[in-house]
Amino acid sequence: MRIEARHKNDIVIFDLEGEIKRSDITDVTLHQLVKEQLDSGKRKIILNFDAVEFIDSFGVGEILASYISTHNLGGKLKLVRISKKLFLIFQVTMLTKVLDIYEEEETALKSFF
Amino acid sequence: MAKNRLRSALSRVVDLKPGEGVIAVFLFLYFFFITSPYYIIKSLRNASYLSGLGDEKLPLAYFLTAILMGFIVTFHSRLMVRLPRSRLIIFSLAFFFSNIIIFCWLFERGWKWVPVVFWVWANIFAIVLVTQFWILVNDVFNPREAKRMIGFIGSGAQLGAILGGMLAGVLAKKAAWLLLPLAAVMLGLGIMVVSGIFRWRRHKTEEIDREARGKVAGSTKVGFRDAFETTRQSPYLLLLAGIMMVTLVVSTLIDWQFNSIVSFEVKGENNLTSFFGYFNAGTMFFAFLFQLLLTSPIIKTFRIRGALLFYPLILFLGTGGIGLAALTGIVLLVPAILIKASDKSLAYSLNQSVRELLYIPISPEQKYKSKIFIDMFLNRFAKGLGAVILAVLLWLVPRAPGPQGGQGAIRYISLIVLIIIAVWAFLNFRIGREYANLVKAKLHKQYERGDLLVDQRLDVDFTKLVFDTVESKNRSSVLYSMNLFDLIRQDKLTPEVRKLISYRTDEIRAASLGGMFEQTETGLGPKTEDELSEDVLKKEVQEIMNLDVYQDVMKEYLEKTLADKSAGAEVARMEAAKAIGFMDSRAPLVGKLEDLLEDGSPEVSRYAIQSAAALKRRVDVPVLVHKLKSPALREDAIDALRKFGPRIAGTMSDYLADRGEDTELRKTAAAILASIGTQESADYLSWELTGAGDALVDEVIDALDRIRTADSRVRFPGETIRLMISKETRLFYQNLVDLHSEVQPLEESVSRRREKRLSDSLWNIFKLLGLIYPQEDMIKAYQNLKVGTKNSIAYSLELLDNILERDIRDLVFPVVEDLPLEEKVKRCRYLLAGFRAGKDSDG
Repeated sequence: MRIEARHKNDIVIFDLEGEIKRSDITDVTLHQLVKEQLDSGKRKIILNFDAVEFIDSFGVGEILASYISTHNLGGKLKLVRISKKLFLIFQVTMLTKVLDIYEEEETALKSFF
Repeated sequence: MAKNRLRSALSRVVDLKPGEGVIAVFLFLYFFFITSPYYIIKSLRNASYLSGLGDEKLPLAYFLTAILMGFIVTFHSRLMVRLPRSRLIIFSLAFFFSNIIIFCWLFERGWKWVPVVFWVWANIFAIVLVTQFWILVNDVFNPREAKRMIGFIGSGAQLGAILGGMLAGVLAKKAAWLLLPLAAVMLGLGIMVVSGIFRWRRHKTEEIDREARGKVAGSTKVGFRDAFETTRQSPYLLLLAGIMMVTLVVSTLIDWQFNSIVSFEVKGENNLTSFFGYFNAGTMFFAFLFQLLLTSPIIKTFRIRGALLFYPLILFLGTGGIGLAALTGIVLLVPAILIKASDKSLAYSLNQSVRELLYIPISPEQKYKSKIFIDMFLNRFAKGLGAVILAVLLWLVPRAPGPQGGQGAIRYISLIVLIIIAVWAFLNFRIGREYANLVKAKLHKQYERGDLLVDQRLDVDFTKLVFDTVESKNRSSVLYSMNLFDLIRQDKLTPEVRKLISYRTDEIRAASLGGMFEQTETGLGPKTEDELSEDVLKKEVQEIMNLDVYQDVMKEYLEKTLADKSAGAEVARMEAAKAIGFMDSRAPLVGKLEDLLEDGSPEVSRYAIQSAAALKRRVDVPVLVHKLKSPALREDAIDALRKFGPRIAGTMSDYLADRGEDTELRKTAAAILASIGTQESADYLSWELTGAGDALVDEVIDALDRIRTADSRVRFPGETIRLMISKETRLFYQNLVDLHSEVQPLEESVSRRREKRLSDSLWNIFKLLGLIYPQEDMIKAYQNLKVGTKNSIAYSLELLDNILERDIRDLVFPVVEDLPLEEKVKRCRYLLAGFRAGKDSDG
């Protein structure tokens, strides 16, 4: 898994790529990266899944951990371009009720304002 | 009036129903007037042969009879095809009548060959006339009727034999010339009786004749080959044939032993005739007493299977005795008389009756054909075989000269007879078992039980889930996705279900699982190639919901949702209730289910009940039990509690046993225990059975019956079940007596209730019987008794008679016996009085 961070104004956009799964844990996890941004004072975060090929329950756990950390600090975490599969899983688990999910990055960016 | 008097008099000796008295007497006389001349003829036959040709020539007589009988059978079976029953029987009687006149003339001539011809003819006389008699009995009566009257009708033969034998005994020394004319007169009377039978039953007889012709006409040719093939193709008939063979081989060997000993001890033809006359009369007198007093009780007590073993056992002991006597050199006449008397009297009483009963479960056509083969051909063939065996044995052990010279052969033959009797007993044991199976096979289920069919064929949970899925489609995509996922989780999202669910495809489908499986675009996110297998989906969802972080994320949302009791938040609460059902039962959020179960919205509560069923937490059981009282949620609560399975059997039994609880709730507890269906739940229900009381007894019995239906391995306490059968039968008696009380007629509403109770009691009795006897048999018997034909009712009774133990049978038969109502009420009143008297004396 590769994660690149971009900044648009005070919004941090994480471009995720490859597979996010338990068997492929890298030195730095998504949650750690989000926490680093939160520690640096950022409170608006977008996770872009456009290039994600696969995500398992471990990956979902990383998203949820990131969500809690952001939420606890009064920040907002939004998800964009998630796969159909992931969306379906979020529906069954009712996470669509909690997570902010957008089809396009632009819409997500606008939603912060 | 006269008919009533006749019936009343006869009912003391035979179990008759209205309209049966006259035919019973006619058949009694018919049998009487063919056996009385035969026993005169038989005495003459033996005496003339032994004095003219000697006992060493007996195998020749046996053999000739066997050979000729083949031709006679073929000829007789052709006549049966061509002639109506009435004409054939009267023709046969007239034929034998004329033959007797001819033999009067032949004996006057003193020709050497006459005794040989007379021997063979006498045997043909007996076999043809007796077979015709039994075929007519089988035509006239159904199995139950035949079984009831067989003792009485059969005793006609014994009385005839006594009279014939006595006449031979008395007249042989004084007026031997009178014997044959006397036999002719008796047979003439027989012709008159048979004419009377056919006249009296003209209408019925025409039916019988038509039926008999119809049966025969169905097969292109009923000859010896057809009769033989019919027997050969049925293992049961083969067994029957085998038994007949073995019986007659034994009988032939015993007959030779007896004749051999008598011919040494009694000299002179008239003395021999007299001896045989008295002997036959004495034997038949014993047979008559046996038939009158012991045959029915033995068959009733030991049933066919036990009764079948009596005859070989007695002969085994007798043959052992004669062998021992021959070994020790004591006088053989007494043991010979004893064994021959036992053989003859049992053959004409118990064995005859049992053998006729063995034909009951055979189809009329099979019975008709096999009877021709077995009773007429095989009968003689077996005698012939006996003759060959005898000739071989006598050749192997030649007789020493002198009066005691035959003892060596007798010893040797006794040993062989003992071995054959052992084979015979084994065959009898086998046929007894086959008989019961055949009676069972005669009965068919009249209908399938609707309640059980619904249980078996309709998956209620699945149906509900499909409805929920379709219904949720318009309410919430989340709820819809969850319901679809539930179908997947239970491996029930079949192509048919997908088609059904996607019927209205223009509604919410965006981003739904339904959409995914229907291969449509969601419009959300990019097109994805990642095919989602159902197994992966199940695993992923499960793992995500068990994550601590998931529980943390959802906690706040759920609290907020549950706190919002507005109508607008109802769907959100339904979603929450559904989602909790996918979680691990130990997950923190599962605790929220208690609130959702108590939710004011029945729809939310219903989803919560389903989740409680999926999680199976004991803590939810009291709430679910409480929901049983809610009409809207009762069925869901029952389904949920059923899913807990054996874990809540104890809890359900507590509710069942709690007299202070609501009756409906206790009934439901019985139904849930039934669906749990374990030995433990059967035990709980059984414990409650005797104390269940009127309000609950039907449900408890039904629950036990359902457990038995679902798992035949479950065992039920015999004593308790027997006690309940006794209670239910008494209840039946009481209701029947009350319903038809002339003293205190019931009000219409009370009468209807009693009739319903009567019907319920009958069903309860059979359900209870099904717990301790083969259930399938009890269901068949019940259904055929309720809605079967006259014959299938008879087979049901026969089946019950064969299966039930005596005490149970005595209780149940007054309930099920095919009796006129008046008679039934009378019996029930009598039995109730007996119960009360028993109770008083106990007290």
